Amino acid sequence: MRDRYPEPGEMSVRRLVELIGQKLLITSATGETGFSRLVGSPDINRPGLALTGFTHRFLHDRIQIIGETEITYLSSLDADGRVRAVRNLFQFPVYCFIVTKGFEPPAEIVAEAVDSDCAVFRSPRDTTPLIHDLTGYLSEVFAPRKCVHGTLVDVFGVGQLVTGRSAIGKSEAVLGLVERGHRLIADDVVRIRRTGEELLGTGDAILGSHMEIRGLGMVNVPVLYGIRSVKDRHTVDIEVRLVDWNQKPDFDRTGLDRSSTTYLGVRLPQIILPVLPGRNIALLLEVAAMTFLLERRGVDIPAELDMKLIERMREPSGG
Amino acid sequence: MYQKTVLVPNRLGVHARPAALIVKKAALFDCDITISTGVEEVNGKSIMGVMTLAAGQGTELLISASGEDEVPAVDELCALVASGFGED
Repeated sequence: MRDRYPEPGEMSVRRLVELIGQKLLITSATGETGFSRLVGSPDINRPGLALTGFTHRFLHDRIQIIGETEITYLSSLDADGRVRAVRNLFQFPVYCFIVTKGFEPPAEIVAEAVDSDCAVFRSPRDTTPLIHDLTGYLSEVFAPRKCVHGTLVDVFGVGQLVTGRSAIGKSEAVLGLVERGHRLIADDVVRIRRTGEELLGTGDAILGSHMEIRGLGMVNVPVLYGIRSVKDRHTVDIEVRLVDWNQKPDFDRTGLDRSSTTYLGVRLPQIILPVLPGRNIALLLEVAAMTFLLERRGVDIPAELDMKLIERMREPSGG
Repeated sequence: MYQKTVLVPNRLGVHARPAALIVKKAALFDCDITISTGVEEVNGKSIMGVMTLAAGQGTELLISASGEDEVPAVDELCALVASGFGED
């Protein structure tokens, strides 16, 4: 799956620098040493105790963050002590080091790192926010994911995954939404990854902003509608499944019985929308998004209507 | 034209959920279907129509149909109403 994230197996230190180096404000203290080393896990580790020689539980298969605690500890040692402390870490094949808070990476770490082909970075950023950004990004890279045949569009801030059989009119419907000012994330192929209890959708890095419209061929959405018509990624909040309108319809007539579906173990509200020539699907998708927003605020229109109706039937006059 | 009457047996009457069951059943037939309370007469395939009836418990509904499949349409709709829609 080639989307806007690298394959987990391609996540080298070099890719890390290319992808979020600017956000983390990291610069290398060791040139390109260790840049081909692979980052195999989204977690980080503070080496802390391992510097003291307690390496029994040292989580070496992590990016190692050297913050103020480690720096202060190291500067409390004499030069020999620092070398011994640092060598405790380099017994293991760590991914790389990031020294935070603008501290200059200790010379002993840099020397050992160059010897063992390992990168050391420095960053002026505070430790905790840097860790949040780093693990946030890496957990997206390493997240469980799948590829869905459908179209993802941001409608009033609601990530709508529009699915349905080939040629049922997904792309045309979404083009209608784009025309109305909504934003396309991905057409035809949506990569979904799970981060926590949330689903995040992206498109293919190159194909993402193109759509195929039968009879017209490939169209480039931002070229036609401007840069505001596309978006790199969005949460997937609801699935709208377009189905053929057959002679024996069995779809929700009231909205009282909402169905749901599951992607990567996350429950997603699902609307089954029958398609018929003349139905303005883009308009219906907008209403579906607004209904979703109302429900998320605890406003359930069908249930309210039902209550009013029951109330009316209770009146002695019988309405 | 074929027609029959049936009493609404359930406590809450024909509220949204029973109305949905009625129109879904009605949509299975090709004939034209009307439902009347004597006060109002509505299209049996329109959920807004059926809810407008506000047919509470004990209301007598007159279900009429005209078309090829009018007899099973009326019979099945009457059976559905008489069943109380699975409610008490």
